[in-house]
Amino acid sequence: MRSRRRASGDVGARVHPASSPPALEVSHVSKRFRSHRQGSGYSTLKSLFLGKGRKQSAPAQSWHQALTDVSLVVPKGEVGGVIGRNGSGKTTLLKLITGIYRPDEGTIRYEGRLASLIELGAGFHPDFTGRENALINGMVLGMTKREILARMDTIIAYAEIEEFIDEPVRTYSTGMYMRLAFAIAVNVEPDVLLLDEILSVGDEQFARKCAHEIERFRASGTTILIVSHDLEAVKRYCSHVIHLEDGRVRNEGPAVEVVEAYRAQFAE
Amino acid sequence: MGILTTMKTCWRHRALIGALVTRQLNARYRGSILGFFWTFLNPIFLMLIYALVFRVYMRFDMDHYPAFVFAGLLPWIWFTTSMSEGANSLIANGNLITRAMFPPEILPVVAVIANLMNFVFTIPVLLVVFLISGIPFGWQLAWLPVIVAIQCIFTLALTFLFAALNVPFRDVQHLLTNALTFWFFLCPILYPLERVPDALKPVALGNGMGTLITSYQNIFVHQQGPGIAALFAMLFGSILLLILGDAVFRHYRDTFAEYL
Repeated sequence: MRSRRRASGDVGARVHPASSPPALEVSHVSKRFRSHRQGSGYSTLKSLFLGKGRKQSAPAQSWHQALTDVSLVVPKGEVGGVIGRNGSGKTTLLKLITGIYRPDEGTIRYEGRLASLIELGAGFHPDFTGRENALINGMVLGMTKREILARMDTIIAYAEIEEFIDEPVRTYSTGMYMRLAFAIAVNVEPDVLLLDEILSVGDEQFARKCAHEIERFRASGTTILIVSHDLEAVKRYCSHVIHLEDGRVRNEGPAVEVVEAYRAQFAE
Repeated sequence: MGILTTMKTCWRHRALIGALVTRQLNARYRGSILGFFWTFLNPIFLMLIYALVFRVYMRFDMDHYPAFVFAGLLPWIWFTTSMSEGANSLIANGNLITRAMFPPEILPVVAVIANLMNFVFTIPVLLVVFLISGIPFGWQLAWLPVIVAIQCIFTLALTFLFAALNVPFRDVQHLLTNALTFWFFLCPILYPLERVPDALKPVALGNGMGTLITSYQNIFVHQQGPGIAALFAMLFGSILLLILGDAVFRHYRDTFAEYL
């Protein structure tokens, strides 16, 4: 995997004054995607050969600009937030930081181990037991086999699925599935944690568990970036927030100000 | 060089590769009563069908024909299932590639190793079949690990190539299915190499798998050396092919998440 570490002394252009050096820094990132509409970007062997055969008449590929010149800094141990409407580029930004996509322009830097929860239980296999899935999912999130096996009992207890841990996960309720996935993720103990919209998926008890974990991570110095539609949660956890609109930073600043300005926009 | 980076990545994730191989082996027969025995039963049934058709119906006359077919069929099954599973592995695991920090290069490796395990598990059955047929074992069997290693490199090379191409060009898996069927009949698996017209022998051997299959047949059926010159040419070619397959994989690697 690509290494994005760097020395902590070199800060570069700072978007807002920070008391400590940034643990996560996104600077001037842009990303565009091939449009997947039929007959444009979607390639078949046929279009490849035809396209090669007559380069002159080949139609220009159509592109979708997902992010334009997005910058963001989260100082070590703080919680940053990203808000914006559906399709504004929030998840694309998280995927770029995770390294799933590579930015067309700009740079992304972070320090230490990064864990990204874009989807709870990504890669769970329905026919396998909770225990088997925990092992593989933990490794996908960056833990070693030994670390996971050592924490397996903690994970199972935290997920509150003791009697079902050796049943296939397809038999799990949505709540059990999410609790298991979350239990694995919080045991990764990353330096930088990315959370996509998981604050608003569970019931009241799950939300309380999330809140507790975020507090615990923050206390232990983990840097967190949250993407959420739950504006109250964003106000509660985040110190600094950016508001994305059509892939651009429309507003940024202290959480309360940005969230209230975002709300006011819809009140008009 | 790119291939060294890929090897390092795979080595770093060896525990994950091991866990995914175990999962794939378990997943295949999960829920079936005979379970793991299907690993042995499937190739045995296939061998019996070919023996029936060619021996009884087409009156193909050859000593120890079932054992001969079995010796070529087992490595072929390893190759062909690795290829079809490997070519599809990125698409099948799109969920991991688009939602987690997941190194895609380990997926073709998992397909090849999981099927290698199946192949290794069936070797005792092969030896039993030879025992029943009354074919003696020669010291040439010591060549087996060498041939297996070369087939491993050859299969990995092609699996990397087709797995990567299959993501932007979904036609690849359909072309591959047909190509593998044709390839099977091009290799001297159901018929001995001596029956191939001289003009076509370069095709039978030069497709790569033909050379490997005849090497297996030599050490198992004929108690002969594997044909060392051809085997080393095969090793050299496989390494070049692996460098090429890896280069293609790396060319498309960063776009996988966008296509899946």
